[in-house]
Formats: sequence, structure tokens, C-alpha cells
Amino acid sequence: MSDLISIDKLVKRYGSVVALGGVSLNIRRGEFLSILGPSGCGKTTLLRAIAGFVEPTSGEIRIDGQLMNDVPPNRRPVNTVFQNYALFPHMTVAENVAFGPRRAGMARGEITRRIAEVLLAVGMDGYGDRYPRALSGGQQQRIALARALINQPQVLLLDEPLGALDLKLRKRMQLELKRLHQDFALTFVYVTHDQEEALAMSDRIAVMKQGEIVQFDNGQEIYRNPASRYVADFIGEANLIDCVLDGGSGVRLAHGSLVLPYSCSGSDAATLMVRPEDIHLGDAPGDAAIVVVPATVRNKTFIGQGWRLVIALDTGHVISAQPPASAAIEQLIPGDRVTAWWPSERGRLLTR
Amino acid sequence: MRIGRLETFLLLGGPVLFLGVFFLVPFAMMALASMQSDDGTLTSSHYVKLATDGYYWSVLLLTFEIGAGVSLLTFLLGYPLAYYLTFHVSSPALRRIIYIILVTPLFTSTIVRAFGWIVMLGRAGLVNQWLRGLGLISQPLDLIYTQTSIVVSLAYTMLPLMVLAVGSVLQNMNRSLLEAARDLGANSLTTFLKITFPLSLPGVVAGSLIVFTLSVSAYVTPSIMSGGRHLVMSMLIYQQYMVLFDFNFGAALSILLLVMTLLLITAYVLVLERSGRTTAAP
Repeated sequence: MSDLISIDKLVKRYGSVVALGGVSLNIRRGEFLSILGPSGCGKTTLLRAIAGFVEPTSGEIRIDGQLMNDVPPNRRPVNTVFQNYALFPHMTVAENVAFGPRRAGMARGEITRRIAEVLLAVGMDGYGDRYPRALSGGQQQRIALARALINQPQVLLLDEPLGALDLKLRKRMQLELKRLHQDFALTFVYVTHDQEEALAMSDRIAVMKQGEIVQFDNGQEIYRNPASRYVADFIGEANLIDCVLDGGSGVRLAHGSLVLPYSCSGSDAATLMVRPEDIHLGDAPGDAAIVVVPATVRNKTFIGQGWRLVIALDTGHVISAQPPASAAIEQLIPGDRVTAWWPSERGRLLTR
Repeated sequence: MRIGRLETFLLLGGPVLFLGVFFLVPFAMMALASMQSDDGTLTSSHYVKLATDGYYWSVLLLTFEIGAGVSLLTFLLGYPLAYYLTFHVSSPALRRIIYIILVTPLFTSTIVRAFGWIVMLGRAGLVNQWLRGLGLISQPLDLIYTQTSIVVSLAYTMLPLMVLAVGSVLQNMNRSLLEAARDLGANSLTTFLKITFPLSLPGVVAGSLIVFTLSVSAYVTPSIMSGGRHLVMSMLIYQQYMVLFDFNFGAALSILLLVMTLLLITAYVLVLERSGRTTAAP
């Protein structure tokens, strides 16, 4: 796999506001990359910079080795699927989809053939003569996809395309997008604020915060080894527990005396991260490789797949636990004393 | 908040009464007068005269020609201006200033404006002076008191209306549509021709309708700028009332202008509605 897109120290300033503060990123040919972050983190600005709609203040963007900084959007080998679909309202579906090929000077017959092909691929064959206003949101979205895919771009840029759809449709479209990515063997750059979506679909994820990439790796790595509190909190659910350093490099829970089997050096404060699904309640096995903390149940919620409990550790920290379902868990009520434990390798010490 | 019947009656009653007294009633009286002869008996003689004498149709034709000319000129001048204001002027303050400059002439009296044009275009006016001074002509050009000068001076007044009508549609246009066109390979010109312009047509239609109806009913500007050499319907109607004191025939002429204008506008809108160009895109 080679790098298809390479972004080098990209900076974008709007007056005194820094939208992108020196972003460097390499996107591999054929991969499905997500740019993940909350509103305002710069992910859309980054995507639009790749598309050519945002002129960088400094830094370089190269696609397939070629410098793109002075290349206008209509001459870049990329196509964009817009958040609000941006279908041309005065043209039919077929005319919309034909727009790209027409600009490229393709023959009429060839265009007609390709339109039929791509509409079939997105599940909208037969809709050629309809107008966008007669379509539902999900249908418009698929036409927007078709309109971009028909040009066989080197890179497909997607700007939060599933945001306006309801949950079920969104999940279905995620699978469809994944399938299209594989069938067409394209490179996808996908912007989203939905971490579940990013984890489900991507080969790699670039997590952004305030104009910078704070972690760039595959989903599993980011989930297991978040680089900072921000990433831990943003991806999946995380319990973040304050710790203090215990002479040298030892660590213990704040307000308590329990020494934890983690070590760190070089900073004064640390945070222990444990995911709720890694926390077990009940008798701890006699393993040495576990951390055991006594706690009291605060409340309990049924969430279909199991129970979610809020427990207060004896040190005062309040955390969430989502243990494997069992009869013992079901019988717990607020106020019960319980032993919380987790495999030590499931906890992560974060120093940022 | 629901308002009771009495409040509705009072709130609506005022404007409706005003409209009735000062518009509907005089209009009905005029319509009636158009079908009466001097002594009050009902007659169709005025309409017969209109139908058979080609002179009145020629005046009507000139009136509509001028109206069309003004619409076209305001479109040719106003559309680029509206486009520039929307897409190339980024500060809203500057946009407002330019618009105020456009609209300010409307605050002056129509007569003063028309005489301003005479100063510009007259035989001894600025344009002729410059052209003679530059040695381009030896004799002054006849720029004034022509049909063109009527069209130009009306267009000057109507320009801000067209700019506003087109500008508001352009301002509200979904920008991502234009980006999508560029993304798909269209250059700036193609984006304009295929996307921006077609989607702005509702504004052009609205603007041209306003400009046309105001132009065919204009009186002061054509009166002064025609210099007595041309006659439009409003001037003809004025003559009937104020010079010949023939209120009945004048009324018939007024009804003719109204009906023909309505027919023209209806035809225009129907044709455009068929091709789906009258409502702005979502």
C-alpha cells in the first residue's frame, strides 16, 4: 500500500482563529480513513482543504505525488459527498448523476450505460427521471453517492453524510458504504463526529481536537490505548479516575491507599482509564493480574443487553460499570456493597 | 393568541375600507364611465373606436416596447451588478452602501431626474460636449427625445428593483450546490450557466414583472424624455382627461391598458410556470 494523499503541516487561519494548526497526515491508497472529532475541531476544514474549497494558509497537500495547493477543485482527482447532499434541484436524478461525466466530455452512450450501472450499485435503479425533491433523505443520499462515484475518483470525500438519517437507516447505510468501498476499490476519507460509526467503518481513524490530530491509528489501538484523556473520553465510554504518584514511579488512586500495578514517570498527575465493560462486580478470582477495589452500588439501569451500574469506590470516585450479565448482577440494589475488579491490563494510565 | 371577531373586524376593516374607498370604488366608477357616453347612457362606442382605430394599438405597442426595453436593459445591467454584490463583495456593510447608492436617485423628484438626463444627453449636454471635445463627432448627436432615451431614463430608475429581486434569490442560493458543481469538474463559467443562472430565474422573472408593470404605467419620465415626439398610453390617457375632457374615452383607454398588461403578464408567467422557472429552488 502506498500513500495516496500526503498532507504536510497544513495550517489554516481565519483572521486570528486557527482552524488547522499544522496537520500532517498520510492516507494510504484504498483505505477507509475517518477523521473524527467534535464540532469545531477542524475536521470539515481539513476535508474541504483536500477537496480544494479551502485555501491553506501554509503547508502542502499532495495527491498521488502531485502538489495540489494551486489546483482548483474542478481539476482535482477527488469527488465530494456533501452533508446536505447538494443535489441540483432543477435537474433529474439522471441529469445530476451525468453532470460529472458530461463535464469530462464522455460520449452520450457511455454516460447512459454508466448511470444505469452506478444507480444499480447504490440501489436506486429506475429513479433516473425523478426530481430530487421527490426523494427521501436516504434516497437523496444515495444519489449524491452515485453522482460522486460515477466519476471513478481516486479519492471519495464524505462530509458527515449520514448525519440526517435515523438510526436504523444510518446503520444500514454504514454497511452499504463499506460494501461500496470494497466493490469500487476506492480510497474513502470520511468525516464524522460519531465515534461508533468511525470504529465500525474505518481502517484507520484520525482523532482531531481544536485543529490538530491527537491520535492516528486503527480503531482497536485507539480504543485500547488512547493517547490522552480527550481521546479516551471521546472514543467509547471511559471511566477516568484521578491518581497520584506514590514516590518514584508508583501510582495509587487518589484519596486512597491502594497501590496500582501501573507505573509512569515524568509527570505529576495521571489518570487511570478503565472501560465500563471491563469492570466486573462480585467475587474476584485469585489472580495476581487484577485490580480489586471495594465499592458501593449507587444506581442500576437496564439497557437491554445487560445492566449499567454506577458505583462509588471507597476512595470516593464514582464510575460506571457494565459487567457481564448474571443473576448476581440482577440482584444488586443501590446501597449494596460490592467488590469491583478488572484485569490490570485493561486499565490504562494516561498522563495527558 | 387568538383575536376575537370584533378585533379582526376593526383591524382588517381599516385597510379594507381604505382600499375600497380609494381604489375599488373609483375603479368601478371608471369602468362604468368607459361604457357611458357624455349624457350617461350606456354605449360600446368607445370600445368600438378602440378596436377599429389602429392608432391606439400603435400607442399601446410603443408602450409595451418601451416596457420590454426597460426590462431587458435593467436585466442586462442589474444581473451582473446583483451577481457582483452577492458573490464578490464580502463585507455586508459595503454591500449595503452600494445598494444605498443605487437607491438614492429614487429619493429625488422624477422631474428633476428627467431633467438631469436632458443635461446629460441633450444637444448641448455633457455627452455631446465630450464627444465633440474628443473630436469624435462634428455635429451633436440626437440622443435625447428618442425612444431609447425614454428606455434609458426609466431603466435608471428601475435598476434597484431588478438588483434587489435578483440579488435576494442569489443571496439565498445554497452555496454547496455551486461547490458541488465545481467538485464534479465544472469551471466557473459552466457553474454559472448550468447552476447559478437557471436557479436565479425566479428572481429575474419577479424583477422583470415589477419593472415592466411600472414602466408601462410611468408618466412623468416618458412625458419629459419624449420631447413631444413620442406618445405612450399614460400620456394619451392624460390628454383625454386633462386636455380633451373626454373622461369616458379616457376611461376606456385606461381599461385597455390594464387588460392588455394583465394578459401579457399572465401569458409570460404561464409560459415560465410550464418550464418550472417561477418558484425558487429549495
